[in-house]
Amino acid sequence: MDEFQEILQDFLVESFELVEKLDEDLVELENNPEDLELLNGIFRVAHTVKGASSFLNFDVLTHLTHHMEDVLNKARHGELIITPDVMDVVLESIDLMKALLETIRDTSADAGIDVSACVVKLDKITGGSGDVETPVAVAVEATPVVEEVVETPVSDDEPDYDSMSPDDLEAEIEKLLQERQAEDKAKRNAKLAAGESVLAAPPEPTEEASSAKEEPKATPTPEPTPPPVTPTPAPVVQKSTPKEDPKAAAPAKRAPATVEQTIRVDVKRLDHLMNLIGELVLAKNRLIKINDDVEERYEGEEFLEELNQVVSIVSLVTTDLQIAVMKTRMLPIGKVFNKFPRMIRDLSRELNKKIDLELAGEDTELDKSIVEEIGDPLVHIIRNSCDHGVETPEERLAKGKDETGIIGLKAYNEGNQIVIQIDDDGKGLDTDMLKNKSLEKGIITEKEADSMSEKEAFGLIFKPGFSTAAAVTNVSGRGVGMDVVKTNIEKLNGIIDIDSELGVGTSMKLKIPLTLAIIQALLVGVQEEYYAIPLASVLETVRISRDEIYTVEGRSVMRLRDEVLSLVHIGDIFEVERILDAGEHAYVVVLGLGTSKLGLIVDTLVGQEEIVIKSLGDYLKGIEGVAGATIRGDGGVTLIVDVVALMQMAKDVKSAPMADTSSAAAITEKTKPSDYTVMIVDDSKTDRTIMRKALEPMGVTLVEASDGQEALSILKAGEHNFDAMLVDIEMPRMDGYTLASEIKKYNKYKNLPLIAVTSRTGKSDRMRGVESGMVEYITKPYSADYLSSVVQRNVNFKAEFL
Amino acid sequence: MSDKLKQIINKQGDQQNVAMDQLDDIVQLVGFVIGEEEYAIPILSIQEIIKPFTWTRVPQVPSYILGVFNLRGAVIPLIDLRAKFGLQTKNQSEETRFIVMRHGDDVAGFVIDRLTMAIRIKKADIGPAPDTVNGDDTIIEGVGKQADKIITILKVNKLLERDF
Repeated sequence: MDEFQEILQDFLVESFELVEKLDEDLVELENNPEDLELLNGIFRVAHTVKGASSFLNFDVLTHLTHHMEDVLNKARHGELIITPDVMDVVLESIDLMKALLETIRDTSADAGIDVSACVVKLDKITGGSGDVETPVAVAVEATPVVEEVVETPVSDDEPDYDSMSPDDLEAEIEKLLQERQAEDKAKRNAKLAAGESVLAAPPEPTEEASSAKEEPKATPTPEPTPPPVTPTPAPVVQKSTPKEDPKAAAPAKRAPATVEQTIRVDVKRLDHLMNLIGELVLAKNRLIKINDDVEERYEGEEFLEELNQVVSIVSLVTTDLQIAVMKTRMLPIGKVFNKFPRMIRDLSRELNKKIDLELAGEDTELDKSIVEEIGDPLVHIIRNSCDHGVETPEERLAKGKDETGIIGLKAYNEGNQIVIQIDDDGKGLDTDMLKNKSLEKGIITEKEADSMSEKEAFGLIFKPGFSTAAAVTNVSGRGVGMDVVKTNIEKLNGIIDIDSELGVGTSMKLKIPLTLAIIQALLVGVQEEYYAIPLASVLETVRISRDEIYTVEGRSVMRLRDEVLSLVHIGDIFEVERILDAGEHAYVVVLGLGTSKLGLIVDTLVGQEEIVIKSLGDYLKGIEGVAGATIRGDGGVTLIVDVVALMQMAKDVKSAPMADTSSAAAITEKTKPSDYTVMIVDDSKTDRTIMRKALEPMGVTLVEASDGQEALSILKAGEHNFDAMLVDIEMPRMDGYTLASEIKKYNKYKNLPLIAVTSRTGKSDRMRGVESGMVEYITKPYSADYLSSVVQRNVNFKAEFL
Repeated sequence: MSDKLKQIINKQGDQQNVAMDQLDDIVQLVGFVIGEEEYAIPILSIQEIIKPFTWTRVPQVPSYILGVFNLRGAVIPLIDLRAKFGLQTKNQSEETRFIVMRHGDDVAGFVIDRLTMAIRIKKADIGPAPDTVNGDDTIIEGVGKQADKIITILKVNKLLERDF
C-alpha cells in the first residue's frame, strides 16, 4: 500500500505541474491553432494523465482524459480545427480534470464529480454520437496506456506490444531498461576514456530523458529540444516529454536510480536549514564585532592579521552559504504567472473586451513562501485591470487606441527586491473621480481630499470598501480585493507603487523582498535603546535641527523638499524614557509604505545590518508596532519595528516630538558634610588614596571607581547623588574624556562638576578636557589643600561645615 | 491543570521509589526567595538558572515584564516576580538569578532575589493552597510543610500564562 501511496503522490505532483503549464499552452494554441509542437505537448499531457490515472484505477479521470485525448489527437492530425468553441469545451474538461485531481489529492479517490456532460461534448466534437458509456473497466484501459507510452516518444520501430499481456509487457520493459542502462554505462565509460570531460555535461539531460523513455535509442544523439529546465516560450513539449513516462514506468518497478539531476526535498528540511543559517548569520555578526574590538585593543599585533583573515573568510562563506540556501528555496515566478493567460482569456470573453497579456521575466526567482502568497494579490490586480482599466473595443477605437488592450506582467530584480510590475494601457486612474467616490463612501473627509497629492489619491483604491465600478459585476466591483492586496503585500514586507496617467494607462509596482527570514534593516538609536527598521520601508534619512520642526494642529511636521512630512518621535511610540539629553540635531528616517509617508525622529543612526527575524513568542505576541526581534552581534536583543502598525500608531501620537524634558534635578538640602558625595575615578590605587586623604578631612562621602566604565555604572545605578567627580584621564576600558562626554549626555548630570586630575599638562589636553565637559583641570602633583579647595568651590561647600 | 504537574510528581515519585526503596512519594523542588517569602517550583519545570545579564525593554506591556533576553539564540521574555507579586522593585544584587522555566512550549525567564536550595519533600507534607486563594486562578499549587518553615509551591503553567 505504501508503494501505491508513493506512486500516487508522484502522480499528483506531476499532474499538477503538467496541468499548470497546460492552461498557458491552450490559450497559446487558440492563437496558433496550427502549432503542431504545441498540440503535441498538450496531447501528451492529457495522455500522461490518462495513462497514470488508469493504472491507479481512477476511472472517472481516465474516462475524461481519454476523450480529451481523442479531441486533441484529431486536432493533432489536422482532422479538427481548434475553434474558440472547441477550446471552450477543452478548457472546461481541463477544469474538470483539475477538480478531479484535487479530489484525488484530498480523498485518494476520484468519485463525486460528474464528467458525463463534458464528455458528451468532447465526443460530439470528435464526431461521435454523444452516446458515451460511463466509466469502464480498468483492465481494458490499462493495456493501451502502457502501450501508448511506449509509442508516444519519437521512435517508431518497436515490436508490437498490442498482443502482449500486461505481464509480458512489464517484462519487456524491464528488459529494455536494463539493456539501455548497460548501453548508457558503456557509452559513458567510453566517453570518459576518450577524455571527453566537460563536453559530456550538455547531453546529460537528453540522456536522462531518453533513458526514462525506456527506449533503447542511441544516447548522445542530441534531441532537437533544449534541456527541460530552461523555461522557453513553449516549454511544455520538452517538459512533458521526460516527465510523462517515468510515471507510466512506475508499474514496471522503477528503474534503479539513473542519472538524477533533481531531487525533491521536503520543505521542512529547507526551513530547518534556513533557521540554522540564521543562527550562523548571527554568530557571524558577533564574530565581526568581536574582531573589531580586538583590533582596537591590540592594535599592531601580528596575530591580528590572521584573525582578520579567518573572520573575513567565515563571513564570506556564511554569506555565500546563506545565498545558496536561499536559492534552494527559490522558485521561478513563472509558476504564478502561468495561470494568468487563461484568466485573461476567460475574463476578456466574459467582459467582451479584447485583451492581450504580455509576460516577461517569468524566470525571476522568489522565495517559495512568497511565491505562494503572491498569487492571490496578483489575481485581484489583474482582474481589476481587466475590468476597470482596459476599455471596451469600441471605446478604445473611439479614443484612437488599438482595439486590443494590453496588460503587461513582468518581474525583475532590483537590488535586494523583486519588482512585479503590472501595466495596462487602459483608461488610467482619475484622481477626481477617486476622491469623489471616496467622499461618497465616507472613506475620506473633504479636507483630506483637498490636501491629497496625486499619489495619495491613487492609494485610495486600496482603502477597504472602495469601489469605482458603477455596477457590481461577476469580476469585480464589490469593494473588497484591493485592500486585501495591500495587506497581503505588506505582510510580505513589500510595498505597492502606483503610477497612472488618465487615458494612457496604469502601472502598478509590487516591490517585495527576496526572502522573509533574513532582511536588511536600518538600526536606529533612541536614548539608550536600539530598534531595527526594515530597510525596504526606509526611503531616506535626513539630519535636521530642532528649528526645522513646525507644529501644525498639534502635530509635528517638517518640510522635506517640496513636501510636508508629518513627524513622530520613536520615543513616543515606544514609551522610551527620556533620560539622555536630546541634542540640537536629530535624524529623521523617512518611512514609505506605498503612497503614505512618515518621518520618524530618532536620536542616532547606527547603520545598516543584516538581521534574522525572530518571533517574540506566544507570551509577548501582538505587541503593537513590534514585528519581532533579532539578536545583534553583541548578543543583545533588538526589536524590529512593524512599519505598518507604526504608521497607524503615529496618528494617535500628539505630543511635540522634541519637547525639552530637562527635569529639574531634585536638590536636597545639605545638613552635614557627609551629605556631599564625591566620586574619585582613577585606575591607580595610590592616586585614589592620595585624593581620599586630601578630601577626608572635609568629612564628605567618597566613592571610588577604578575606571570610566565602573564610574558610569555607579552613576547609572543611582544609589548616590554625586556633587562632583574627580576624574583621571588615562584609564583602561574608558578614559576620562570619554567618561566625561558620556556623563554629559544625561540631562541629570549636565551640571555635575567634573574635575580632571591628571599628569597630562599639554595645552591640547586641557582643551580636550574642556571640550568633553570638564570644569577644572588639576595637574599632578598637587597639594592636598589645593585639591580640597577646588572641590569645595565646585560643590558649593557650606562654610559652616569647615 | 495540575494533572501535568501531578504526572511529573508521580513520575518523580516512581523514580524515587526505585532509587530509595523505603521512602514513599517524594517531590523535588527548587526553593527561592522573593521579598520575604520563600517559594518553590518543581525541579523538572526548570530549564536552567542563570546569572543576570542585559535584557531589552519591550513597550506596551505591564511593568512586571522587564523585556526580552537572548538565551543562546532564542528570544525569551523576562518577568520580574517581585513586581508581579506587587513588591517594591529592588536593584539586582550578587544573589539575583534568572530562573528559566518551561511548560510545554512556553518558556520565560523569571527574576528572583536569591536561590535557597533544592528541596525533597514528601508528597504527604504538601497541603492544599489556603482556601482563600483556591480556585482556578490561583498560581499557588500547594503549601509544603517543612520542619521549621512552610514553602509556597507555585504553578509553573500559571506563571507562564499570559495575563494581560
